[in-house]
Amino acid sequence: MNSRRNALVTREALWGYAMVAPMVIGLGIFFYLSMGASFFIGFTKWDVLTPPQWIGLDNYVRLFRTPLFLRTLWNTTRYTLLTVPLGSAVSLGLALALNTQIRFRSFYRLVYFLPVLTMPVAIAIVWKWIYNPDFGLLNQFLGPFGAGRIRWLSDIHYAMPSLVIMSIWMGSGYGMVIYLAGLQNIPRAYYEAAQVDGANSWEQLINITLPLLTPTIFFSLVTSLISAFQVFDIVYVMTKGGPLDSTRTIVYTIYDEAFHFFRMGSATATAWALFIIILVITIIQLRTQKLWVHYT
Amino acid sequence: MKRLNLSHLVLHVLLLVVGVAMITPFIWMVATSLKAPAEILQATPTFWPKAWRWENYPEVFRLVPFGQFYFNTVLVTVARVVGQVLLSSMAAYAFARLRFPGRDVLFLLVLAVLMMPSQVTLVPNYVLLKYLGWLDSYEGLIIPSLFSAFGTFLLRQFFLTIPQELEDAAVLDGCNPLQVYWHVAMPLARSALLAFGVLVTLWSWNDFLWPLIITNSTSMQMLSVGINYFQGQFTTNFAVMMAAATVATLPMLILFVLVQRQLIEGITLSGLKL
Repeated sequence: MNSRRNALVTREALWGYAMVAPMVIGLGIFFYLSMGASFFIGFTKWDVLTPPQWIGLDNYVRLFRTPLFLRTLWNTTRYTLLTVPLGSAVSLGLALALNTQIRFRSFYRLVYFLPVLTMPVAIAIVWKWIYNPDFGLLNQFLGPFGAGRIRWLSDIHYAMPSLVIMSIWMGSGYGMVIYLAGLQNIPRAYYEAAQVDGANSWEQLINITLPLLTPTIFFSLVTSLISAFQVFDIVYVMTKGGPLDSTRTIVYTIYDEAFHFFRMGSATATAWALFIIILVITIIQLRTQKLWVHYT
Repeated sequence: MKRLNLSHLVLHVLLLVVGVAMITPFIWMVATSLKAPAEILQATPTFWPKAWRWENYPEVFRLVPFGQFYFNTVLVTVARVVGQVLLSSMAAYAFARLRFPGRDVLFLLVLAVLMMPSQVTLVPNYVLLKYLGWLDSYEGLIIPSLFSAFGTFLLRQFFLTIPQELEDAAVLDGCNPLQVYWHVAMPLARSALLAFGVLVTLWSWNDFLWPLIITNSTSMQMLSVGINYFQGQFTTNFAVMMAAATVATLPMLILFVLVQRQLIEGITLSGLKL
């Protein structure tokens, strides 16, 4: 009996290994092996064509001595600090508005969500055309208000805000869906109790909705910060990092270093720096969440 | 009651203003795509085309091999979706239901993948593909993108929520774990599989950085990379560029209208990333 039981367990184990094998082997090669290699490439000077040269920490040291990298870091931070709070505010506002008994809710939700589905590259081309100083829609629209001919994407003062506006347009529907799900999880009983106590809708928002939504807000902030730090597609299409490197972001630099200049070591070191930055920010968020996130 | 209606009216006005802002780029895209080049570049610009010029659409396919880009995108997307759904669900089922030594460690290793930005593995994966001779090929576009830690995690969580009785009955009938997974668990997980499949379709269709770095011949481009051919070479022909953008984005918009509920469920279920 015992040996039969063992045989069964072993057979189950064999099936288990067989069924996870493709995934584990695939991730083993394209993630773990690759990550190990990445660690070493970061210490080398390598153009892929000639053998790599070991240069120790040079790539990392140089990163922080290069004004361009610091500029890139600042640009990415600025992009994140603008898109994440503004985008979250828009998403939250839309979700709160649609979490009422208002009519045509599902129609509004559909419209707000459409930008999320579009291919970023294709829609960035459309926005480039919207931002066109001479024939674009935005200057046409602003003209009557006396705005003049704004060179949205080729003026160093406007290029970054232009990217920010476009990415808020593209992403707020996604946040809205997350917030709506969070709102629907708040038990109705809380509101009923508050109404009995005579709380108006503003008081209900401040004392019930927002505190109980903090876990969703927290989650949404963590994920949107991570993806904002990785912005690439729209930069590539709309500005190529210009004008005068004012929109050059970290991932654009990684791409540029690796696939234009074939500096694989420097590109990889930059990618690790990005990882460390994301890691530190996420840890700080996790550590500080107990100051403002209410878990019930 | 009257006050309520008034507040709803204000809300409707706000929602409509935002709605117009959200939808205008799409309308502008389609409107421009139907204009004659001369109309686009005239001193007093128009919003709606004076004469609808449908010829811009065939032009998209004539100027660059857009049909080929389309075919590549569909092929790669279908392969990635089928592959990711099958491999993730199979691994997810084993992680959720079967007992084997090292299972939890392996699962943690799968989860750890989710924490790493993909740029870290970009260069080594490029080099690996170079050695495998997979640069500029369908293998390169498809195979490294078949393994989804996210899908494995998502579907494992889902398998854990479905009751095990049916599976136990199948085991008593003499099914092996692979048969139980395929005939019992998979049909029960249909909604989660569909939600995951829709998300993978969207990511794959819109994927950009990976195809950008590993393909270079015109015939291997996916839409997201190929659409940039219209920039530069045909800079002045904005109408054709907008027609191309319309053709490239349309399938995902249609898909969404068809499976709106599943997609939103998928995002809510995962909440992870898009």
